[in-house]
Amino acid sequence: MPISFKEVSYTYSPKTPFAYEALKGVNVNFTEGKITAIIGSTGSGKTTLVQHLNALLLPSAGEIEVLDRKIKANIPVKDLKSLRKMVGLVFQFPEYQLFEETILKDVCFGPLNFGIEPQEAIKISKEMLRLVGLDESYDERSPLELSGGQKRKVAIAGILAINPQILVLDEPVAGLDPQSSKAMMKLFVELNRRYNKTILIVTHNMEHVLAYSDDVVVVDQGSVIRHVTKDEFFMDDDILNELKIAPPAIINVKAMLKAKGIELKGHHLDLESLTDAIVKEIW
Amino acid sequence: MDSIALGRYIPGTTLIHRLDPRIKILSMLFLLIAIFIPAGFYGYLVITIVSLLALSLAKLRIGFVFKALRPIMIMMIMLMVINVLVVKTGYVIITFLGFEIYSGAIYQTLYIFIRLVLMIVITTILTATTKPLELTLGIEDLLAPFVRFKVPAHEIAMMISIAIRFIPTLIEETQRIMKAQASRGVDLKEGKFKEKIAAILSLIVPLFVSSFQRAEDLANAMEARGYVPDAKRTRYKQLHVDTKDRIILLFVILILVGLIKIAIFI
Repeated sequence: MPISFKEVSYTYSPKTPFAYEALKGVNVNFTEGKITAIIGSTGSGKTTLVQHLNALLLPSAGEIEVLDRKIKANIPVKDLKSLRKMVGLVFQFPEYQLFEETILKDVCFGPLNFGIEPQEAIKISKEMLRLVGLDESYDERSPLELSGGQKRKVAIAGILAINPQILVLDEPVAGLDPQSSKAMMKLFVELNRRYNKTILIVTHNMEHVLAYSDDVVVVDQGSVIRHVTKDEFFMDDDILNELKIAPPAIINVKAMLKAKGIELKGHHLDLESLTDAIVKEIW
Repeated sequence: MDSIALGRYIPGTTLIHRLDPRIKILSMLFLLIAIFIPAGFYGYLVITIVSLLALSLAKLRIGFVFKALRPIMIMMIMLMVINVLVVKTGYVIITFLGFEIYSGAIYQTLYIFIRLVLMIVITTILTATTKPLELTLGIEDLLAPFVRFKVPAHEIAMMISIAIRFIPTLIEETQRIMKAQASRGVDLKEGKFKEKIAAILSLIVPLFVSSFQRAEDLANAMEARGYVPDAKRTRYKQLHVDTKDRIILLFVILILVGLIKIAIFI
């Protein structure tokens, strides 16, 4: 089933002097069951783009298809709740949305809103808290006394507990320490591989794009300018130069080797295959 | 949020925009006082003409002023209804659904209506043509003589400017939290009463938490830069009173005095 945008435009504060067209005729077709990284410089429209997926923003023009639902410009969406249960959206800095007395209650908030039975909601919430790496001792604590990183984990567990088919993450690991962000990214990969969830990640971190994504969507000035597989993306020096993206370390190493006259054959996007290739080349 | 006109600054470079904020605040005060001088309908005619003159000098559209009046319309209608029903002086004009409407009531209501509209128009001219920060500078200066009576002029001005500065930030924050909670199934429009309460709580608690956090951060940032409230401070923006300011102030004072004369004469 499609997750697609057709000629979607979005204007903030229309018909005022502050009008700003954040999306200009976006066409993109996200692949179901894959991890897609959405990249682009700040202000390019990434966040605006993903907020259309669960109808937080409605397009000014164009049409969006999310699984069996259609969102069209100027037509109110029926049954918003079921759409939002299907598409879970984790905001940038989601720790600011915590409000309940205990962490467990906060994670239960989402499922209860979507009509899950309390018993079931508690069960799934506990499961999700364990999944993001918070043990039983946290269940009854106040979410407000946690550190920033732990709050982030609670907030992400709060969306996971809704059990959406599509998980949209807006810079989920910005500001987390390296260990936590690695664990978090691995969790997303596992959710994708094991439960076959479609995952869209907005990120600035090229190492994460390289290590965890399948596809890459590049947003620039309100349009999607590229939609390619990860391998294609990192093999294409033109895109990297054009977007002024600092490439991941491995790509840099390859470029340096090339500059020294060592040309490697084939794709080598992880450490092992790169070392193998180097060994082969020099031997 | 974009439709709020009351208290909004409209950028411009007209004479009214360029007036010294202190003079503008004083003129507004004098005109507000003038509204309450019982100089009859002629008095209001004079103030109305002055307001229209100021509006055209400031190049503000009448539509903008009406927009500013809109939120207060309900209050005005309430006031008028109560007045019409309660005041029983003069002679009966008509009997409407068993209520006798007196001529005194009509006069009284018209007075209140005109006063309220004029007050809002005059304050709107002030806020629409003065940058919020200039306004607070003006307030600070005007309060300066009262410092000897322990009025914390600078602190009041600082609090007002911080409050004004954070209004857009808070609106943005509220919208962000609303979206985040909407993603967790909160529906502010539908649902039972109990659900609505929970929905509002899910918005207010995070808003409070982040506001306190922000306040603390701001206080720390100010302290880190050596801010002491009662220290003597110099200003980047210097206010000057020049000829045009003096003329305007004189003009307004003349109107005030004139109206007092009319009131005594009547």
